[in-house]
Amino acid sequence: MSGTLIFQSIVLGILLGGLYALLAAGLTLYFGVMRVVMIAHSAFLILAAYLAWYFNQQTGLDPLLSLFVTVPLFFLVGVVMQRLLITRLRPATLTMMSVLLTFAIALIIEGMLGYVFTGTQRRINLSYSGASLDLFGARVAVVKLIAFGLAAVSLAALYLLLKKSRFGQALRATIQHKEAAQLTGIDTDRIAGFGFGLGLASAAIGGTALSLDSTIYPSLHWHWIGPLMAIIVVGGLGSVPGAAIAAMVLGLGQSLLQLPLGTTWAQTVFYVALFGTLAFRPQGFFGGRLAQRF
Amino acid sequence: MPRGSETTAPAGGLLPARLGTPVRLIALVVGAALVLSFPLVAPNPYILSAGVVVLNYAILSTAWNFVGGFTGYISLGHAAYSGLGGYATGLLITKAGVPSFVALILAGVVVAALAVPIGIAALRVRGASFVIVSIALVLILLLVFQSWGAFTGGSNGLVVPRPFPDLLRPEHHMVFFYLYAGLIAIALLAWWAIDRSRFGMGLKAIREDEDKAQSLGTPTFTFKLIAYVVSALFTALGGGLYALWFGDLDPIFQFSILTGSYMVLMALLGGIRHLFGPLLGAFIVGTALEIFKLEFGSTQLHLVAAGVLLAVVVLFMPDGIIPAVGNLVKRFRPTESSIREVTAAELLEQNRARAAAAGQPAPPATDADAASDTKAEVKR
Repeated sequence: MSGTLIFQSIVLGILLGGLYALLAAGLTLYFGVMRVVMIAHSAFLILAAYLAWYFNQQTGLDPLLSLFVTVPLFFLVGVVMQRLLITRLRPATLTMMSVLLTFAIALIIEGMLGYVFTGTQRRINLSYSGASLDLFGARVAVVKLIAFGLAAVSLAALYLLLKKSRFGQALRATIQHKEAAQLTGIDTDRIAGFGFGLGLASAAIGGTALSLDSTIYPSLHWHWIGPLMAIIVVGGLGSVPGAAIAAMVLGLGQSLLQLPLGTTWAQTVFYVALFGTLAFRPQGFFGGRLAQRF
Repeated sequence: MPRGSETTAPAGGLLPARLGTPVRLIALVVGAALVLSFPLVAPNPYILSAGVVVLNYAILSTAWNFVGGFTGYISLGHAAYSGLGGYATGLLITKAGVPSFVALILAGVVVAALAVPIGIAALRVRGASFVIVSIALVLILLLVFQSWGAFTGGSNGLVVPRPFPDLLRPEHHMVFFYLYAGLIAIALLAWWAIDRSRFGMGLKAIREDEDKAQSLGTPTFTFKLIAYVVSALFTALGGGLYALWFGDLDPIFQFSILTGSYMVLMALLGGIRHLFGPLLGAFIVGTALEIFKLEFGSTQLHLVAAGVLLAVVVLFMPDGIIPAVGNLVKRFRPTESSIREVTAAELLEQNRARAAAAGQPAPPATDADAASDTKAEVKR
């Protein structure tokens, strides 16, 4: 195994980890504001990818432009979902029932995608699909770089939003201590709705990035939800930096293990990490107070 | 996972206690007779095979309910155990030459043994994390059984020889219908026995408030693990029976999250706190699924229907049909008085008599010594 091959894997692993980090950040947001584990996150991811493909198919424009439609749309859907569905659940069983509810939403999305677009595998053909850059000896496809760029920019924007804006402060206060946040005059219900919207918007961005360089089909979301769930458990439920670090580490691990094991078995790194985390550190590696409760 | 205490149904359920027992017995006998006579009145082999499929769902969701109903731990990945049961049965027959039904029993034992370490890992976490683990379990098994083609047949499937090669197809369905019915009866009996036992009381305490149960001296981890293993055993037996009946295993269908979610949906729809809840749910959902398959064939609409049904149940009927109907019946009865018809003195006397009959001294004034010798297991 040559050095360049390993270097190439590392670069690809980092690129993949970036996308994982963005998606895991979305999952962390839902869990933070509502204690909801959103199984449908990856279904929305695939939905966004399909919308990008359909947009490209119909208009012939670059699929990245579909972001201008899907991001606001998904944000709205997220807010509506939180206000109309999640808040209807009984507080005592919220976490458990929300898993089932979002699972049901995932099934509905998968079924509708299969019904409307059929189960045929789809792929976007772009003028720059085959292009690649030479990065210190590693050949990296341009579309992968674009996907990573999208993920990195959105993650940075999310970080700035959370750290610098008043809304971000309110959101973080809601995550940290809901009752205390209410006492300081924060409308936590509204904030929680926006948190949900932000999470779904991240799925829209991730889905568009995904559509650039991979083949999509309706049941693809099951291949994403496992790794994503593993990432948030390893990172510790509710911790954005934890999720990002875990995403990077596991993405790198998957990419490197593909060399000796092949793509299928390399997937197992997520599940090994998941069970290892549960055996030795059930609250995750970076999760603080939040994870303790679950 | 404490559930709202306002939903803790009284033991009587639908009927007042005095009237309940004979009526329930009659209902039970009629129900059993209806089920057992189904193969005789089924108009054609297709309907009969659909009946077997529904019974397969019934045993799976009843088995699921050993964990979900008693402890409140919702496992979305129980298809892992039905799949393992099916594959263990098939592999024991094809690779080791074990006779069919011996293989079935052995497979149940093997899967139950496997469920011990998995349960130890999975039950360390609660709530959402547990659900994630259960999903991960199915995904990882799907991965392994698809990739390890040399041993499991991979995506080409594994053909399981039929246990009764001489039987015609309708007779084959009929035999398996009764085998399934027998297995369901055993599972229901086991659930009923646990429901009435001290062990069951401990499990339900875990469901209502795990921390309190633990601090009161219930060995919560051991109890959860036992319930989990029993559940895995029955699920595996159901899966193994399916392998013998259907004769062809494919990882995609055996280790499918969809199957696992059907188990949850059926149990929730019927009512997870009730003995016959999962059975009722399986009849409704299983029949609906079969009709859907006929009407819409291979389109993906059955996913949408299952999703909508699950969402409706979760949002509007989280306690299931049985309590919902029970509440409806109650509205048309004279309101119950809150006055207890037994005085405190009478109750004390009854408790003494019961304790004496069980060969134990009367309950001590304090529970301090009772609590101190039950070693509280410390989580984490």
